[in-house]
Amino acid sequence: MAEIEVRDIRHVYDQGSPDETVAIERINLTLKDGTANALLGPSGCGKTTLLQIISGLLQPTEGQILIDGEDVTGKPPAERDIAQVFQFPVIYRSMDVYGNLAFPLRNGGVPEAEVESRVHRISELLELDDILRSSPSNLGPELNQLVALGRGIIRADTSAILFDEPMTDVEPSRKLTIRRRVKEAQQEFGITALYVTHDQHEALTFAEQVAIMKDGNLVQYDTGENLYQSPVNTFIGHFIGSPGMNLLECGLSHENGHAHAHLGPHQVPLDSALAPSLDPSWTDCQVGIRPSSVTVQVADPHEDTGYLPATVDQVEMLGGFQIITATLRQTDVEVKARVAHDFAIDEDASVWLSFPPSDIRFFHDHEAVPA
Amino acid sequence: MKQRPWLFLLPALLLVSISAFIPLMTVMNYSQLTLLPGTQPYFAGLENFVAILQDPAFQGALGRQFLFSFLVLITEIPLGLALALCMPKDGPGVGASLVLLGIPLLIPWNVVGIIWRVFTRSDIGVLPEVFEWFGATYNVSQFTGDAWWTVLAMDIWHWTPLVVLICYAGLQAIPEEFYMAAKIDRASPWKTFRYVTLPNLRGVLIIAVLLRLMDSFKIYAEPFVLTGGGPGSATTFLSTYTSRMAIGGFQMGRGAATSLIYFFIVILLSFVVYIIMLNLGQGAGNDS
Repeated sequence: MAEIEVRDIRHVYDQGSPDETVAIERINLTLKDGTANALLGPSGCGKTTLLQIISGLLQPTEGQILIDGEDVTGKPPAERDIAQVFQFPVIYRSMDVYGNLAFPLRNGGVPEAEVESRVHRISELLELDDILRSSPSNLGPELNQLVALGRGIIRADTSAILFDEPMTDVEPSRKLTIRRRVKEAQQEFGITALYVTHDQHEALTFAEQVAIMKDGNLVQYDTGENLYQSPVNTFIGHFIGSPGMNLLECGLSHENGHAHAHLGPHQVPLDSALAPSLDPSWTDCQVGIRPSSVTVQVADPHEDTGYLPATVDQVEMLGGFQIITATLRQTDVEVKARVAHDFAIDEDASVWLSFPPSDIRFFHDHEAVPA
Repeated sequence: MKQRPWLFLLPALLLVSISAFIPLMTVMNYSQLTLLPGTQPYFAGLENFVAILQDPAFQGALGRQFLFSFLVLITEIPLGLALALCMPKDGPGVGASLVLLGIPLLIPWNVVGIIWRVFTRSDIGVLPEVFEWFGATYNVSQFTGDAWWTVLAMDIWHWTPLVVLICYAGLQAIPEEFYMAAKIDRASPWKTFRYVTLPNLRGVLIIAVLLRLMDSFKIYAEPFVLTGGGPGSATTFLSTYTSRMAIGGFQMGRGAATSLIYFFIVILLSFVVYIIMLNLGQGAGNDS
């Protein structure tokens, strides 16, 4: 069990050559002992590079990796006590499942009696008992991925396990089962885990804390709830949630302690707690609101109740709910709102939208303004 | 309508029958006749087969053939694999290595024989000269041992590059993740080779072994040019025997029968080796 610290890590591929690519700008990150973490980000943002630097498969251009305070940057993977599960199941085909699980132990010179008890412990946990004597070639990718996971956690000294998009090859219907077993294993052994994925649903269900990367930078490292409720910038706001947060370019006015965002001719009142942090001279401002926070009304509220008139462009039925895309009147500002599945609405219909001030996030220059 | 698939198969069937089926049938026909130039052919039944199987020259050639193919396989396959492992994985070295390896493969069989014939000539050859420096004698047309290892060396020189190329392609196809996992699992270099490289190369190794087995079984031109099958019959292999029977001895019926026996042996042997290799290392090998 271990705390992993990523300190000032920077990585450049093919440094000095014309193909030079900066994969990681500079990252600082501490994964607390025994926690489940996810590393989330669009493809090509440097997730896998960071993972390989932590496991020691790649030497960083700059910076250090510390495990429980000890600098392991120069050490090979074998000396780091870190396991890794790859994108597609890596198994040793010439050995049966038992042999695969026992492999890292036997390589470490563990006595055969202990090998046997560890293999049985792990196979029980991952429900691989029945197939211990099967050849992995005859099993599906799901089971093979579990075998690969088992090989990672079987060593008594495994302090951390890294997953590199482990569900890529797994059939959608089996993902839940596999993820549950992965999670159980992580909790059972209290292993520090880092789970790389570009699927936010996977990240948020697996991890207590999620690190989000973009273009080689760590953007936010926080709990799922905070990422959803308090994104540090518009990228996170848009990236987390499906659909993401509405991000509307706006003007700003500030009078007598009351702040308003301007969307064309419309005014949206902002939370009074936000007012002291706002500067009316700002130009590049955005209001952010989750589609689920937007209130939608089909009847004209007539008087000035803070509802903004809009025209529906699109209605998408997503099973349990619908997503409405509407344009605010006299503007080209598009807003998405989430309504119940039985909410009766047609395209081109008029609606009135309201943004509750407490649910509004305000961004200046795409960075969140703290309340 | 039901006949339509056959119609589509017709061109392929026609080609196969012209190139393989009809000649094979003809050979089968000949094999049961006594065909001597200037005489009427007459039906001999299995007489030709019996005579060949009882011919000590055939038995000798068959024995030599097995020994030769066996030696070829146990040398060329490990050597080819070892060389492939030593080859650079990327960079300018790759092209250079591939060109160097390709040279022997581009030379026609009989030319290979002629090159080596020149090497080994007792008057102007380089090999006898080198042996003389060390106070030894070397003569392919006189000493069985010299003839044998020279033919073997020639085959290894000529065909190991093919094994290298096949293995190299196979090595390139092994995903890097397998090696990463082995590193994390603390596998030693030997265990990485044993449990990652070898099992992943199984498919290409089967191909390499079968190709070299069948090809070495058919060896003809090189020893024919180098030693003419001698000294005595020391380097007379099955193909040399067959052609000598059919063309040299004017016994077409016997020659046809020899071809069929030869054909049957190659098929049977390839099948057996294939089955063995297919089952090799499947689910076994938990002996670490």
